[in-house]
Amino acid sequence: MESVIEFKLPALGENIEQGDLVRLMIAPGAAVSEGQAVMELETDKAVVEVPSSVSGTVKEILVKEGDKIKVGQVVFTADNNGAATVVTENRRPEPTVADVAKPQPPASKQPESQPAPQRTRSTDVPAASEFRLQELGENISQGDLVRLMIAPGAKVSEGQPVMELETDKAVVEVPSSVTGIVNEVKVKEGEKIKVGQVIFTLQGAGSSQAEMTRPQSQPVEHVSGQHGARLAFQAAIRAEGKTEEQALPPDQPMPRPAAFSMPIQLGKVAGTEHREAVPAAPHTRRLARELGVDIYEVKGTGPGGRISEDDVKAHAKAALTAIASAAQAPPRAGHFIAPKLPDFAKWGKIERVSMRGVRRKTAEHLAESWNTIPHVTQHDRADITELEHLRARFAPKAEQAGGKMTVTAIALKVCAAALKVFPQFNATIDMEQEEIIYKQYIHIGVAADTDRGLLVPVIRDVDKKNIVELAVELSQISQKARDKKITVADMEGGTFTITNLGGIGGTAFTPIVNHPEVAILGLSRSRMEPEWIGGKFEPRLILPLSLSYDHRLIDGADAARFLRWVAEAFEQPFLLSVQG
Amino acid sequence: MNEHPNQTLNGNPEVTQRLRIAVVGGGPGGYAAAFLAADLGMQVTLIDPEVNPGGVCLYRGCIPSKALLHVAKLVEESQQAKNWGVDFPPAKIDLARLRTWKESVVKKLTGGLGQLSKQRHVEYIQGRAAFENSTTLRISKTDSAEVVLSFDRIILATGSRPAIIPALKLDSPRMMDSTAALNLEDIPGSLLVVGGGYIGLELGSVYAALGTRVTVVEMLPGLLPGADRDLVLPLHKRLEKKFETILLSTTVASLKEDGAGIRATFEGASVQGKDREELFDRVLVSVGRKPNSEIAGLETTQVRVNSRGFIEVNKQLQTADPYIYAIGDVVGEPMLAHKASHEGRVAAESITGHKVAFEPNAIPAVVFTDPEVAWCGLTETQAEKENREIKVAKFPWGASGRAITLDRPEGMTKLLVDPQTERVLGVGIVGAGAGELIAEGVLAIEMAALAGDVAMTIHPHPTLSETVMESAEVFFGTSTDVFRPKRG
Repeated sequence: MESVIEFKLPALGENIEQGDLVRLMIAPGAAVSEGQAVMELETDKAVVEVPSSVSGTVKEILVKEGDKIKVGQVVFTADNNGAATVVTENRRPEPTVADVAKPQPPASKQPESQPAPQRTRSTDVPAASEFRLQELGENISQGDLVRLMIAPGAKVSEGQPVMELETDKAVVEVPSSVTGIVNEVKVKEGEKIKVGQVIFTLQGAGSSQAEMTRPQSQPVEHVSGQHGARLAFQAAIRAEGKTEEQALPPDQPMPRPAAFSMPIQLGKVAGTEHREAVPAAPHTRRLARELGVDIYEVKGTGPGGRISEDDVKAHAKAALTAIASAAQAPPRAGHFIAPKLPDFAKWGKIERVSMRGVRRKTAEHLAESWNTIPHVTQHDRADITELEHLRARFAPKAEQAGGKMTVTAIALKVCAAALKVFPQFNATIDMEQEEIIYKQYIHIGVAADTDRGLLVPVIRDVDKKNIVELAVELSQISQKARDKKITVADMEGGTFTITNLGGIGGTAFTPIVNHPEVAILGLSRSRMEPEWIGGKFEPRLILPLSLSYDHRLIDGADAARFLRWVAEAFEQPFLLSVQG
Repeated sequence: MNEHPNQTLNGNPEVTQRLRIAVVGGGPGGYAAAFLAADLGMQVTLIDPEVNPGGVCLYRGCIPSKALLHVAKLVEESQQAKNWGVDFPPAKIDLARLRTWKESVVKKLTGGLGQLSKQRHVEYIQGRAAFENSTTLRISKTDSAEVVLSFDRIILATGSRPAIIPALKLDSPRMMDSTAALNLEDIPGSLLVVGGGYIGLELGSVYAALGTRVTVVEMLPGLLPGADRDLVLPLHKRLEKKFETILLSTTVASLKEDGAGIRATFEGASVQGKDREELFDRVLVSVGRKPNSEIAGLETTQVRVNSRGFIEVNKQLQTADPYIYAIGDVVGEPMLAHKASHEGRVAAESITGHKVAFEPNAIPAVVFTDPEVAWCGLTETQAEKENREIKVAKFPWGASGRAITLDRPEGMTKLLVDPQTERVLGVGIVGAGAGELIAEGVLAIEMAALAGDVAMTIHPHPTLSETVMESAEVFFGTSTDVFRPKRG
């Protein structure tokens, strides 16, 4: 009836063939269940917790702490019947190794007699039967659950990290304050969790509930970056100017009675329980503690790796600088850590092309605009039937001068006039100084579609030039852009932008404001449309207009007025001469 | 810690109002914590059943045993002096005066601690404390009055007591634990010491020097379990001469009162299968110590006690109950006074808000036998267990001028060195005065000294301390007094 099964070290990941056994979490005679973490292994890449793929009672452990263990090496043998006889009657007879290896484990294997590692002397509450989120630090009342590191049926012990929480300040690893077998996990990844909320409950002693397994028996990487996160957490709070005493809950006595005290577990970062004596004098170690530096992270520059006070200070400084610069830099679009991409090659052939140059700049700049500016787009239409006649009339004149009388050229003149009437559209917001910068000049950028990508040459002092002049200049600079002769200076200093997609098509679109400008006018393709004029439909040439603006500075009504003004200017070019 | 109290307490409103601290237990951990807490500006109450602070260490442990061991050494040297051309008549022991002297030592030291408590305005309450809740203690004073006091924080320093083997429990005045043995009621003709740990060997040595025939019985195959064997060997050899018998891998099957004495039955390797019985005038049971964690009312707090009876604490010595700290023997091994004092100081500083932790790189252990055995940091036994690569450099005292002048060449000093970094990881010493010499080793380890640092530090000649330097030289194969070229 009894069968002995072996647990071999599973594959840990690409190119990881072995690891050092840092901590063994089982002992002969202990019940082990599939998915339960049985040891901590330090590989080249990280310290990983290795979950068992077998269930049963540990018979013999064939490795010891400090050993190098290779993938495939037998870690322990388990008697998969022994434990079951203690509790279960409804098990299937004669389990085979194959049975056990299947994801659904046999019924409960938790012997009733397993002693709780900690004896509580409290009379009212028999033992901690649940784990609640305890205080994380000053002014942190909640966090987003980024990663759950436990599952029902898993063994959890005090100090063992059970989840990663993202708070306003940092991602922190939250260790358990209780020991036992997880019964029910009450939270899900992605949830917001408040201090005091129950995270999971423990199985009561003698519970006959069948153990469930983790969905996967993959090793869980949980230490990489953890020290960094902790340091960052500490440094971030310091960077906010709080005192260290306030900032670092780990070393603070808890001023409030609770079954759980932060110091206990933050002292016990996974894999650090058996830390070797660090080569630093007591005074240096204390300095590190005072600075919130984990001395084990500090690289000693002295003989034999001895850590000096200077080493500790340098380490703290580097950590602070990193945090400070990260905090100062606004969340740059291109610099956001994008979520991990799937392996697209799984679904077909792909090609990877470097995204340097204009494309990257465009991506960064537009994302920055998008992230900074609350965009609203206002749509309108202009009847340009009359204007079209004028345009046709003046086209030869422009051509003579070496330009092309385009709708864009006319739009430049129209917008320049509008910007004079509505100066807030020719401005920039300085959030830092809390000021609005009104520009006394009108330089308008015109988005140009080139084979290098989107370029926006700027035409200066648009208000001081007539339409023909503008047409000529626009033709020249567009050509310059297409000939790749355009310089950075040619694209700087704009106060407003026009983008015309009419040449291609479309009825409307929502252009993105060209930060630090506050508005952009988009033109779509003009079409003959029936207009109700004087009691009947008349064919009129209609130009769709789309104005995106920075809602921080520009109110919706102003935007509607501005765009109406622009539309009317197109409709009655006479206005331009009067008002512009 | 020369910080001015007001300076260190600034900014913490709770502390500026003076935190009220109770320290339960007046041993080396308790009074160290209480005194530092007072120095840091806290209002401290120290509670202990004795007249003065001191605890087991001063009243019934380290101090009286060392006074007696000093006498034992003198008696032995007076006999050994024959070899050096000085003949003393056999020592005549005046037990009453010896006892009085020992007691005067205890009184002087504990009285001094009482004085220091007063000078620091530590309120000393002679009595026993029980918890009403996490911050309230009901104290039964020795003068029978009872007070209930509330505190901001409580430090438990309740220590430990001699462990007893229930099977060997015998209600007889001939049975002694370490406390009774130190009382020196008489000089028994024969003494059975159960347990070959440091307490049994120290007290056995005292009685042997006073003339008692001492038998030591140890369950494990060697004396001083846990210590490296090469350090124990010279002691074992000498004790074999001093003691009547040393029975290893042997247990006491039974103890029976038998008219003139106690009849002990042994079982194990040294009695080779057959029962061996022997009659002893007295029996000393020294099989270790048990933490005093059975504190009345502890169940009203959140304090957690583990399966071995130790109170669980974090590196700041804070228990699972944030209001309660615990230090010393009651929180775990090694049960040593100097560990307790250090913990007491860490606890007091932690309560004040200092960012401190109990994380020594080395805690020295000293056995005050003759020769003394002392070690700190990594031991060879431990390195082997951890499969850790180390280089061991040994300097035999036979090559030490000072040891020869003392006629004590059996000693040995060794360094455990990390072969990669050459950092000193452990130090072990056996020999006369090893307990004093080990401090240098502790400092070397705490300062992360390299073997080269120790070798290049000038040590005074001729002293036993040179053996530390020379063992470092042995590591490099360049010891002046030992020719042992470095291999590989």
